[in-house]
Amino acid sequence: MTMIKKLLTIVAIAALFASCTGEGGSKENSETSLSETIQTEIPVIALHEFDAKAGDFVDKEVYVEGIVDHVCKHGGKKLLLVSDEGDVHVESDTRFKDELVGSEVVITGLVTEFRVDESYCLKMEEDNIKSHSEGETDDELFDRKIAQIEYYRDSMNTAGVDHLSYYSLEYVSHVEKK
Amino acid sequence: MKKLRKWSRILHRDIGFFFIGATIIYGLSGIALNHMSDWNPNYSIDIDEFVTDIKLDKAGITDEKVLKLLDEVDNRKNYKKYYFPQEPYLKIFLKGGSTVYVNTKTGNGEKETLRKRAVFYQVNYLHYNPDAWWMWFSDIFAGALIFLAITSLFMVRGKKGAWGRGGIYTALGIIIPLIFLFFL
Repeated sequence: MTMIKKLLTIVAIAALFASCTGEGGSKENSETSLSETIQTEIPVIALHEFDAKAGDFVDKEVYVEGIVDHVCKHGGKKLLLVSDEGDVHVESDTRFKDELVGSEVVITGLVTEFRVDESYCLKMEEDNIKSHSEGETDDELFDRKIAQIEYYRDSMNTAGVDHLSYYSLEYVSHVEKK
Repeated sequence: MKKLRKWSRILHRDIGFFFIGATIIYGLSGIALNHMSDWNPNYSIDIDEFVTDIKLDKAGITDEKVLKLLDEVDNRKNYKKYYFPQEPYLKIFLKGGSTVYVNTKTGNGEKETLRKRAVFYQVNYLHYNPDAWWMWFSDIFAGALIFLAITSLFMVRGKKGAWGRGGIYTALGIIIPLIFLFFL
């Protein structure tokens, strides 16, 4: 009986410790206040202009406002921010809360660029053939990747450019609009 | 050797007790996440179809019309936001992650109701390292598993130990992953 009492005391102390450190220790993305976040020197990019303007702000902080369409189910470190006119992917080192889905938020993030050029297409082509020949990917995925590579090349030819830029945001903080 | 056996048993027993909870958490979430292609391990999803007469086209949309639709298909208290992902579709977000899609031309719609799976949602949440503290705890747990595996070699002597039946099981446990690695 004394043993059980001792054990319960240890569990109670551990629970108390956990409750004290739970808030401060958490690295889950939490909301900051509007006044804390909004700084006038950081530019605001409207979602419908994001693809057109993001190139001017690569590696710089911007504000983007939209509705959280979904949070990645695999780990919760990506979310899709949407509006009627556009969308942008936001990635983070830490998790987003599931409860953010459907919320209107202002996200502060660093603009990141992902470039697709001919060398990327060749590498993708090579990897696709290799993984398919080794049986790692099925016919459906193989064909889908071929179509994707074709799409990249067609897009570059149509636009007369040697690369395509895809922009996303690296999460810094967010404010939920009420 | 006698001392090593004694301490292996003591530490294996006590560390084993300590990590019973973590073992169950990672065991359950491991099974759940292994079968992600067959089911959603975090949520159960119900889809209900409906048809509405409410005019919800983009030009004439108002919050009140959306709330009126929710009175029909769900509950206006659950309303969060709406947007038009592409014409003529309207997507309405509800509290708890559920959503309503409506084809505003035809009035046909679907309500997708999400419900967190009890136990699985929580263990999967922990499996994905939600927190720096948990990451350290789970690293210690992973180290402890290696320690438990090593101490198990010294716990029992004789024909049931590492030089007898235990050794055969150990060899099988190593050979099976190697077969998968090299031949499958």
